Amino acid sequence: MAAAQPNRLPRGGRIDRSRPLKFSLDGKSYTGFAGDTLASALIANGVLLVGRSFKLRRPRGIVGSGAEEPNAIMQVGEGAGAQPNLPATRVELRHGLVAHTTRGWPSVRFDIGAISDSFGRILGAGFYYKTFMYPRFLWKYYERAIRLSTGFGHAPAAPDPDVYEHRNAHCDVLVAGGGPAGLVAALAAARSGARVILADDGNEFGGSLLSCAEQVDGAPAADWVAGVVAELRGLPDCTLLPRGTVLGYHDHDFLTVAERCDVGEAADRQDHARPGETAERLWRIRAKRVILAQGGFERSLAFCNNDRPGVMLASAVSTYINRFAALPGRRAVVFTNNDSAYRTALDLAGARAAVEAIVDSRPGSGGELAARAQAQGIPVLHGRVVCDVTGKKRVRGVRIAEWGGDSWETIKSTIYIDCDLLAVSGGWSPAVHLHAQAGGSLDWDETRLCFLPAQARQSHDSAGAGNGRQSLDECLADGLRAGAEAVAKLGLAPAAIEAPAANSAGQLPIEALWRVPAERDADRCPKQFIDFQNDATVADIRLAVREGYRNVEHVKRYTALGFGTDQGKLGNINGMAVLADALGKTIPEVGTTTFRPVYTPVRFGTVAGESVGGLYDPVRKTALHEWHEAAGAPMEVVGQWHRPWYFPREGEDLHGAVARECLAVRNSVGAMDASTLGKIDARGPDVVEFLERIYTHNVGRMKVGRCAYGIMLGEDGMVMDDGVMARLGENHFYLTTTTGGAANVLNWLEAWLQTEWPELEVWLTSLTEHYSTIAVAGPNSRVLLEKLGCDIPLDKENFPFLTVRNAKLAGMPVQLFRVSFSGELAFEINIASQFALDMWRMVMEAGREFEIAPYGTETMHVLRAEKGFIIVGQETDGSVTPVDLGMNWLLSKEKDFLGKRSLARPDCLQEDRKQLVGLLSADRRTVLPEGAQLIEEAVRAGATPVPMCGHVTSSYHSACLGHPVALALVAGGRARKGETLFAVGPEREPIAVEVVSPVFYDPKGERQHV
Amino acid sequence: MLLIECPWCGPRAETEFSYGGEAGIVRPLDPDALSDEEWADYLFYRANPRGAHRELWNHAHGCRRWFGVERDTVSYRIAGSFRLGPAGSETGKGANTERDD
Amino acid sequence: MSEAMAESAPDARVDINELPGRGFLNVRLDPRDKHAVKSAEQVLGQAMPLVANTYSSGTHRVYWLGPDEWLIETDAENAAALSGELGEALADFNVAINDVSGGHVAQRLSGPESRTVLAKGCTIDLHPREFGPGQCARTALARATVLLAAGSEPDSYTIIAARSFTDYLRHWLTHAAKK
Ligand SMILES: [Zn+2]
Repeated sequence: MAAAQPNRLPRGGRIDRSRPLKFSLDGKSYTGFAGDTLASALIANGVLLVGRSFKLRRPRGIVGSGAEEPNAIMQVGEGAGAQPNLPATRVELRHGLVAHTTRGWPSVRFDIGAISDSFGRILGAGFYYKTFMYPRFLWKYYERAIRLSTGFGHAPAAPDPDVYEHRNAHCDVLVAGGGPAGLVAALAAARSGARVILADDGNEFGGSLLSCAEQVDGAPAADWVAGVVAELRGLPDCTLLPRGTVLGYHDHDFLTVAERCDVGEAADRQDHARPGETAERLWRIRAKRVILAQGGFERSLAFCNNDRPGVMLASAVSTYINRFAALPGRRAVVFTNNDSAYRTALDLAGARAAVEAIVDSRPGSGGELAARAQAQGIPVLHGRVVCDVTGKKRVRGVRIAEWGGDSWETIKSTIYIDCDLLAVSGGWSPAVHLHAQAGGSLDWDETRLCFLPAQARQSHDSAGAGNGRQSLDECLADGLRAGAEAVAKLGLAPAAIEAPAANSAGQLPIEALWRVPAERDADRCPKQFIDFQNDATVADIRLAVREGYRNVEHVKRYTALGFGTDQGKLGNINGMAVLADALGKTIPEVGTTTFRPVYTPVRFGTVAGESVGGLYDPVRKTALHEWHEAAGAPMEVVGQWHRPWYFPREGEDLHGAVARECLAVRNSVGAMDASTLGKIDARGPDVVEFLERIYTHNVGRMKVGRCAYGIMLGEDGMVMDDGVMARLGENHFYLTTTTGGAANVLNWLEAWLQTEWPELEVWLTSLTEHYSTIAVAGPNSRVLLEKLGCDIPLDKENFPFLTVRNAKLAGMPVQLFRVSFSGELAFEINIASQFALDMWRMVMEAGREFEIAPYGTETMHVLRAEKGFIIVGQETDGSVTPVDLGMNWLLSKEKDFLGKRSLARPDCLQEDRKQLVGLLSADRRTVLPEGAQLIEEAVRAGATPVPMCGHVTSSYHSACLGHPVALALVAGGRARKGETLFAVGPEREPIAVEVVSPVFYDPKGERQHV
Repeated sequence: MLLIECPWCGPRAETEFSYGGEAGIVRPLDPDALSDEEWADYLFYRANPRGAHRELWNHAHGCRRWFGVERDTVSYRIAGSFRLGPAGSETGKGANTERDD
Repeated sequence: MSEAMAESAPDARVDINELPGRGFLNVRLDPRDKHAVKSAEQVLGQAMPLVANTYSSGTHRVYWLGPDEWLIETDAENAAALSGELGEALADFNVAINDVSGGHVAQRLSGPESRTVLAKGCTIDLHPREFGPGQCARTALARATVLLAAGSEPDSYTIIAARSFTDYLRHWLTHAAKK
């Protein structure tokens, strides 16, 4: 099989030839080596054609070697763990890797859609907007057909089996990029005692040094890299993150790094069966200083048919040769407007490929690298350009013409060269993404023809090729400078360190060459691609300008330039240059589009981290949870609390259980876990004054030992929370809040105390978790407590309704409240949580003779609805005043309280505000759907727009009344008692309802007083 | 994610805090004396500036103190944090934990 | 719960143990009231930590929670008595002392990987230079509020959290420690 790697060079490369790895693409088996990427392994196997373009279905090959790759987009893996849309250039090869091309349907070689290439003229910029948007309702069909026929990668349907994690970290210096500049910078910082994190996108550190044949300090560059990495590894406060892509540079020097953990040796060791092993880790790093050394991206050039398989970036060709020992072609032409591609020509020659010519747009003034190439017998054609490419599924040859310096003239090719590889360099763009994400500004450098990082807005600096440095010497020196400056800014003493020397060859300046002239004019010539992934061409950009687009962001959206998974890393600058030309502006005048996180695509699992499944949200459990679970109660999630919903007996469903539980409370006794209520201890010399301002009722009039139902309003007059509060002493109160409001109410109270009324001396302490609360409700509740043994009298005279006592119940200290949320004789037992389960068990045991029913939230809801008691968040939604709820009796006229003034605003005084009422379905059988809208006439839902006059807030079947009951908010409802309205829910006939009082059961409220 | 300096606990991640809106909105002493417009002004209208903004934050997962932050609404740069207290002072009730012997 | 413990046991890099028998008191007082502070310290026999995010160790542990709030960790059997003593000694001062023993659960995290495990869900800087013995912080761990204290031995921490979050935190810690 190893012989089946026809394009593998006999020696060299950073691959491990002792570890062959089998993999497959589209079902066909291949072999590569450990250290390969999927792309390099494919090239070694002679596979260059890897997809079809999105819109025009043109055959496409591997172009790059890293994050800039627009074409080789793969579906990697199978089943639930498959990952769509990975560039093959970033996929590390592993044994058994299964990949599929994502563009071809049914395959990249046979494409029924290729016909659209012939109609390319009509598929110009804005094609989708123009053609498929009308008639609008058909778009969903168009889109489905387009997506299917282009065969984009597909997301797995089953849950992701992989495990992800987050890691928070802090450092003095974060270095993004472990190439020459980043390594020196990290070393300078770490040697000075700084806490350093060095993250690099690649599987090993070294960056460009891994792909070049240069020397550092007189030794192969890789040796120097190994030495630096070894030293950094030995330092205690230095964290190395290979395979760590810095994704985002966010506010206040917060950066995210995705570290791939399931690849390389980890994948081989586990043979990809890694249950529980982390697949990818998201580092969330707060740095004091950041050095951005992510290098640069080589640009392509815009000539006709520049997308044919076999047209590659020159740097990528060098990378495949030097790093992977894979030769992308045997007869090569190099086309460049700058010096760097000469190295590629030398690399190709060194790999015994025939370099037919170097086509250099610049006039022939020589130069060190050109001389070297010529010394090797490589012809250099100066002042010429490649204006067209022949071949469809593979480059067959190039047409070369003289370049007169005018991009828009029509030229005639004079030379034709047969070749199977065209290595292109259009110059370099520093990877300024993170600098720009951080808010840094960019300056256009007219000499180097690229955007350079200018003003930083956070604590960052750029170094190396990412800072526009071109030679290796310059990059190393710049890295050292950045490291030393970061250390100095941290107030540390910079360690003495000498810049490593590379003796780089001198370079000649780049020439501005954006659109290469063609044999026909720019709008009629064969396509000149700018963005390969989105099939955006020079002509498309010019069309957008003709159609009136001026702003680069608009042109981006109209042409889809830079919208792909590569985010335009290859083509954006070329696109902006062509746009500038078409607009008659300079490139800096046009500017760039916005650089946004993330730098490269990231898995959803990585973003989610551990917060999936059972850890998605905290599950809060009461002290009695264990008992509820053992009793088989399904749980209702209230906030984060898991509360027992109902306690089914054998064979019972929700309705059966709730009916039984309700009747038990009404006729004998039931018990509920009410522990989730918010509980606040409030005390201090000014506590009465404070609570008077918070609650609507007259707090000061409460006697010690008394309880009261209280509500608090927002300053807008709307009901915010409610609960029972008790006066435990002259200056000591106990407040309860709703389950969901507990934390908010405490924060809200503290806000008033701390910011508005700091002169009030009041202490608030949360007791929510300390006390568990057991509600015992029903006519037999008193006898039950007496049976348990209580050290205080529980009769009506000594312990009347709405009072509180400290007591010993069954020998245990408790706070006992005579309050009722069911309308029955009832008690609430507050007991320290560590003893609550014992108490609950005793209550259940003592209640056995009364056939006590443990009841859940559903029964609690039914019982309170029968009484017309509201639930904040169910009857209220932030737009309901106490007056709307008929609670005027709670509003003190003698004092101010929060929200009082708002109740006098005109909107709050209107008669037709929605008011709380009861509803009975006319047939006394139909349980209304909660949320149903109320209308005045019996019109079918959706028939015509009908004015709505209210909605159902709560609705249940009442077992004890024998018919359903509902609460509703109805416009002017209190004056409409006796009227008939209609409730409309989805897909149902209107239901006739009668407006009644919201109190259905025991309207005089006698039962709770007994 | 912002890094917010709690005047007591020092710099902590934004996720430990909850936001409290514009600082310095003083509750009228006699709401009944206010016209509907004046009350609405207190209730609903905020400066919402482009640039420096003094705002309230609560160290909800930490010391539970409310405090002020001056934050630039464009750059998100934070100029500083300040303790709240009686008018004119930077230290309110329980604000100062230094032992001055 | 026991299942979670069993899961973490074979992996000795991190040990998670509930600290049984702990009692807790919440104390509110104005530290500018020097007499109140002194009275409390006399009852406790140790300092009320006045420096933010520190705790004092002695018979009890006294954690700074806020500029006017402390949490006293003591033996559970002792909590009620200590609460009474403090209440008596501070009767003349404007303070609030609440027994909150039922509301808190303390866990101890130790082992060489304990800092790494915490870093998966905690955003504060846990480097020993920044968060060492004697220091504590109320902060977020995963999605729960916790009081985190650095132990006197390296790589040992106490996590005190609201009772209702105990299972969630144990589940989270066990999960985080497994990898
Ligand atoms: Zn704080």
